[in-house]
Amino acid sequence: MSRLIALFAIERDEHFEIIERFNDKSESKIIPKDTPKTKTITYEHPSAIWFERKISDDFGIEFEDSFDKRPLLRHERFPLEIHPMLKSFDAKKELTFAPFKPYKYEAISGDGVFEVPVGPIHAGIIEPGHFHFSQAGEDMLHQEVRHFYKYRAIEKMVEGKNLDEVKEIVERISGNETIAYQIALRDIILQSANQSISDELRAYHAMLLELERSIHHLTDLGFIPNDAGFGSALAYCSALAEEARRVMKTLTNHRFGFGSIQMGAKSYDKDEFDKWLSYLQTKMSKFESWIMDIPSLWDRFDTTGILKHQKAIKYDMVGVVARASNVAIDRRDNEYYKNAGWSIVTENSGDVGARFKVRLKELFNSIKLMKEFNSRCSDKDIEPININQFSDGRYEAFVESSIGELYLYIEIKENKIERLFARDPSFINWQGLHLMMPGNIIADFPLINKSCDLSYAGNDL
Amino acid sequence: MIKFWKERAKSKILTENIKLEDEINILRDELKGQIKAKFAGSLSIRMVDSGSCNACEAECNALSNPYYDLERLGIHFVASPRHADVMLLSGVLTFNMLPHVLDAWEQIPEPKWCITLGDCPAMKAPFYQTFAIKAPASEHLPISYHIPGCPPSPEEIMKGLVGFLRGV
Ligand code: SF4
Repeated sequence: MSRLIALFAIERDEHFEIIERFNDKSESKIIPKDTPKTKTITYEHPSAIWFERKISDDFGIEFEDSFDKRPLLRHERFPLEIHPMLKSFDAKKELTFAPFKPYKYEAISGDGVFEVPVGPIHAGIIEPGHFHFSQAGEDMLHQEVRHFYKYRAIEKMVEGKNLDEVKEIVERISGNETIAYQIALRDIILQSANQSISDELRAYHAMLLELERSIHHLTDLGFIPNDAGFGSALAYCSALAEEARRVMKTLTNHRFGFGSIQMGAKSYDKDEFDKWLSYLQTKMSKFESWIMDIPSLWDRFDTTGILKHQKAIKYDMVGVVARASNVAIDRRDNEYYKNAGWSIVTENSGDVGARFKVRLKELFNSIKLMKEFNSRCSDKDIEPININQFSDGRYEAFVESSIGELYLYIEIKENKIERLFARDPSFINWQGLHLMMPGNIIADFPLINKSCDLSYAGNDL
Repeated sequence: MIKFWKERAKSKILTENIKLEDEINILRDELKGQIKAKFAGSLSIRMVDSGSCNACEAECNALSNPYYDLERLGIHFVASPRHADVMLLSGVLTFNMLPHVLDAWEQIPEPKWCITLGDCPAMKAPFYQTFAIKAPASEHLPISYHIPGCPPSPEEIMKGLVGFLRGV
């Protein structure tokens, strides 16, 4: 069966168009404006649920036979008569709070079963989101993930702007995936301008993407053991993550690499960078032989928060989470990356331990890739190519971010953005998070959640 | 594990000494002194993200890494607003978060201070205003201090905290 990547709507003069993007095809459905109704695909693709609820919120389109028609991004105090993505709705309109309308959470009822609401504000330095648990004592029976607290309306914000004007916004959709977003936008800019970049510049960008992935993986390799009570791993890895951020700053003049994917590049010290990579390799080899050998830690990791292979496929999961359940999908699976030394990393058990191991192995693979890309980079500054003409059309880009497959769609009309749709890998993976909970105790939820480390900002847009 | 200890015994190093920049050391000293004088040695911060891109959170998390190690100076990021002296607010204050942010603020006992973190809450990050954004935060909360940056680096956050403490 095809894998669902994205499902989104566009308003045309006479009708709505719904685009169903699968891994192997893209289909377009026309829906009349006077009876905005269509059929759900949630029975075949459970991951369509949030997409459909979002479309209903954004455009007022109804998915008739759907079993879940609750609002998604329009929260308790959001005026429900408003469908913000309609062209007739002014993006800058000042919204006033409507009377509170309770949201009906998915919950299991029964003797002794109780509900535990958590969030939106959490106990640590974490992004806001809500988790709703149905508990029988310590055991999680069910969990609903509810998000969109960070909903900034980015899709609406960028409408009518040109591609140059939205660069800084797109790079701030999700801070820890900024390079991935910038590369996706770069690909779309290049397509629409019918231009290409030099091999050297491409290698430089690919290198930065692997550096971003390394920082993200390093952070998680520290935080995941920390959530299982093993703090020294966090001290070890967070120091390395800090050093990696400083390297990012040396290369791009920004600790996260905001504004770093340009059509030209400044030269940097290639030997220094290579030396640092060797240092990181040594440090992480040491880390590996240490961390893999701590039985009390693996006791917490193994069999915790299992996502079964079949479920991962059924829910169209992507990225690290999918690969840890032996679903071999990675957007780097192509000749370019294979030639540079990329190889797929998968694990079978689908538990916290598997997700941890995937990250660790991918980090080693990223170091190898960075070494190769570094050797392909230019010694001198790369003069920027000038791009200012964008042809109308529909453009797509895919990038493997540190979380998973990122999909960006931009339609340009008369040099302006007619529609931008971004599907962060988190949007898909959040919907499968609840599958990992049954059979686990609530105290392990933070550990399971951290092992997936999804973005809230990228999900909520 | 035994393998690890064997290596450890060989290497003889108990704690690795991370080289800290002088500037950070000076900042740390002043932070510690100010907190001792004004907050009896312990400043509790409740971090609230009201719609950030998550880079500001990442930099706050970085404050606990061995390079900065703020916990050692008496700065604690606490789990509940009821334990907090300061609300550190990041993000553009979304329509969906505003009521929850105000709730959290209510729950902080007096005396309390609100510090905004990053360009977002001041509506100075490169986002255009939309119906879903309620920033600037100063329209909804009494802001005692602002730490600019997109995102402010851990060092800039430390400088900001010193600046805030000087004014208290
Ligand atoms: S200020 Fe900048 S870095 Fe911080 S949350 Fe806003 S956009 Fe992100």
